[in-house]
Amino acid sequence: MKNASRGRGENPVISFLTSIRLAIFLLITLAVTSIVGTVIPQGEPLQFYLERYGDTAFRLIHVLDLDNTYGSWWFVGLLILFSVNLIACTLKRLPHTLALYRKDSLEVDLDRLIRSSMKRSWETANGTDEIKRAKAIFAKAAGKAVGRDGVDGGHLLLAETGKWSYWGLYILHSSILVILFGAIIGTFFGFKGNLLLFEGEATDRVMSRDGQREIPLGFQVRCNDFFLDFYENGAPKEYRSDLSIYQNGTEVLSRSIRVNSPLSYDGITFYQSSYQAVPEVTIRVTSTDGLHKSLTIPAFEKIPWQEARLVFGILQYLPNVHGAPAARIAVSNEKGQIDAIWLVPGREKDLRFDGKDLRFTLEKAHMRYMTGLQVKKDPGVWIVWLGCTALIFGFVIVFWVPHRRIWLWCGERDGKTVVLLAGQSNKNQIQFEKDFARVEDALDRELGAMK
Amino acid sequence: MTLTSSYLLSLTTFAYLAAAFLYLVLWVFRVRKVGVLATIVTVGGFSLQTAGIILRWIESYQLGYGHAPLSNLYESLVFFSWVTILVYLVLEWRIRNRVIGAFATPFASLTMAYASFSPRVEDAIQPLIPALQSNWLIAHVVTCFLGYASFAVACGLGIMYLIRGDSREGDGILSSLPRKRVIDDLMHQTIIFGFLWLSIGIITGAVWANEAWGTYWSWDPKETWSLITWFVYAIALHARFVKGWTGNRIAYLSIIGFISVIFTYFGVNFLLSGLHSYGSQ
Ligand code: HEM
Repeated sequence: MKNASRGRGENPVISFLTSIRLAIFLLITLAVTSIVGTVIPQGEPLQFYLERYGDTAFRLIHVLDLDNTYGSWWFVGLLILFSVNLIACTLKRLPHTLALYRKDSLEVDLDRLIRSSMKRSWETANGTDEIKRAKAIFAKAAGKAVGRDGVDGGHLLLAETGKWSYWGLYILHSSILVILFGAIIGTFFGFKGNLLLFEGEATDRVMSRDGQREIPLGFQVRCNDFFLDFYENGAPKEYRSDLSIYQNGTEVLSRSIRVNSPLSYDGITFYQSSYQAVPEVTIRVTSTDGLHKSLTIPAFEKIPWQEARLVFGILQYLPNVHGAPAARIAVSNEKGQIDAIWLVPGREKDLRFDGKDLRFTLEKAHMRYMTGLQVKKDPGVWIVWLGCTALIFGFVIVFWVPHRRIWLWCGERDGKTVVLLAGQSNKNQIQFEKDFARVEDALDRELGAMK
Repeated sequence: MTLTSSYLLSLTTFAYLAAAFLYLVLWVFRVRKVGVLATIVTVGGFSLQTAGIILRWIESYQLGYGHAPLSNLYESLVFFSWVTILVYLVLEWRIRNRVIGAFATPFASLTMAYASFSPRVEDAIQPLIPALQSNWLIAHVVTCFLGYASFAVACGLGIMYLIRGDSREGDGILSSLPRKRVIDDLMHQTIIFGFLWLSIGIITGAVWANEAWGTYWSWDPKETWSLITWFVYAIALHARFVKGWTGNRIAYLSIIGFISVIFTYFGVNFLLSGLHSYGSQ
């Protein structure tokens, strides 16, 4: 396969697709084009690109999907071509590897052994006993050996390891396809979503991350509590949410989650990702016409008081004014009149509004926490991890598992009894030379002494 | 005076600068004894640095933060130079050639100098923010930096290869360098070693991201740049099988690859924005 990118009489399309030149071209192209998406911000609204890059560049960005580079038609196209190239290359190589793997290492002749990179021979005067011992020594020093009679008129022994390592390259290359496959499974059969939950609130659906659709969970998740902790220097130390899962109204699981410690239920995982603190105040209002009521007002919401025909809301909130919170409360009526009043805890305040005298008390003011969760379902993630593991193993096999063969031939040659030791390894020669020398020394002690 | 990690680490900076200088002298003037001294200074600096890193680890516990010293830009720079020296020392010991030191130790000494003297690098021990509170942090950083350090050494070998020329004996300082074939082989071995660790580094990063954010890959600039780097070295590995892509081109690739490493490491933090705010203080 080396350098044989264009074999005789081969279909040019096929030879193009199976060439390692294409692989190099694709790797370069992927590397260079990947840069684009790190320079141009991704996933912003179109308006952003128009303002930032101007008319002409904007059109280019739009046509080439450069606001979503890694999901663009041409980038996905490159990945597909890359996969096709990888598959084609692998298939083309397969017969060659199979032949290598099937080749019987006992199927050699003496000349071939004599031409090996590592060899050593001994001559012995008398034969059989010594040769028997030599074989035993060989089997002990070189490892498990198989034998065959009648090889160039002698007996051949072979100790072989790592023949299977030819498959390492296949494990390595297919692992990349496995990873891509896992990613595809995740894209089509999973989802990613965001969830903001108040303490005490529950939901059975989440918003997809692109904000386009609501995804039903098939169960309920409730945020019981949210905690926030800081180091002395003010850096955040911990974000924690206590979550419970409800299936048909009964609690089935309850756990705290933190950043780096998510919760999984029914294939869906919840990650602690952010939080928001929203003020909430409780006020008590008494009217001159005898009505009175306690109202709890969350931020950004309008809370009506039906009997008095008034509506309240928080205009402003200061968490700390001389050690206590303060809130500016808006009051309005159906006629569209509006007024506002600052309240602090423990001090009554009066306001004349719409012909009535209102007396306000701030009963409670605090920040209510909302936990920000990321929600994910990814049935492909295990395939991705499998691929990653295979990639590492494949790589180690390709570069560090050698196919080693050590032969011992004993027989008659030119009227003498000859013992020939020969060896070959396809990688890590230095270590092999050491191991070969060990076998050689062991035999030397037996055979060399007879000289 | 109490012995602090900062003190040990600044001593290390000077030791490495001295070592780089000595290796350079060895290469240019070919005085054997200088070479021995260079090794001694390097090993000495390495021991100081090891002690400094361990001490910093202990100090973080005394401050009540308690984490491995791999959590901000300063600590990662220190670790990078430590691994680079480690990879180099192993190489020197295995092939018994000190001249390579002139091409490898400068990376470590410049890194330490940058870490110690740049105002952009905050060297105080900081507590771990929630995103970094994971055992994957250690696995991720250690493996990535083993890769980066190997690539630094491969880059040094690439430079050496390019200036080596084909001269044999006796003509000037270039002939004291190892033969081109030897350099080429070493470069290849180092790239293979680095590629393995970079791969593991990217994978551990993906596992961690999956644990922390629920996505193993989000194409944030740092991830993307590490993938670009990975591609560059994949090219270098395959280029061997294409006719004509020998020696010089691999040497250029190993330099380009290391530029990509540097960009992944710093450029992304300083020039682009993303999730890995990690090194940006
Ligand atoms: C980024 C993904 C890839 C990685 C990590 C990768 C990795 C490797 C590695 C480590 C080797 C062994 C090199 C050596 O023995 O020195 C190799 C060999 C090879 N790769 Fe890839 N490879 C990738 C993509 C591809 C693609 C897309 C092709 C498609 C043509 C390809 C074709 C080959 C071939 C044909 C060989 C073997 C050459 C030989 O032993 O004769 N590789 N690859």
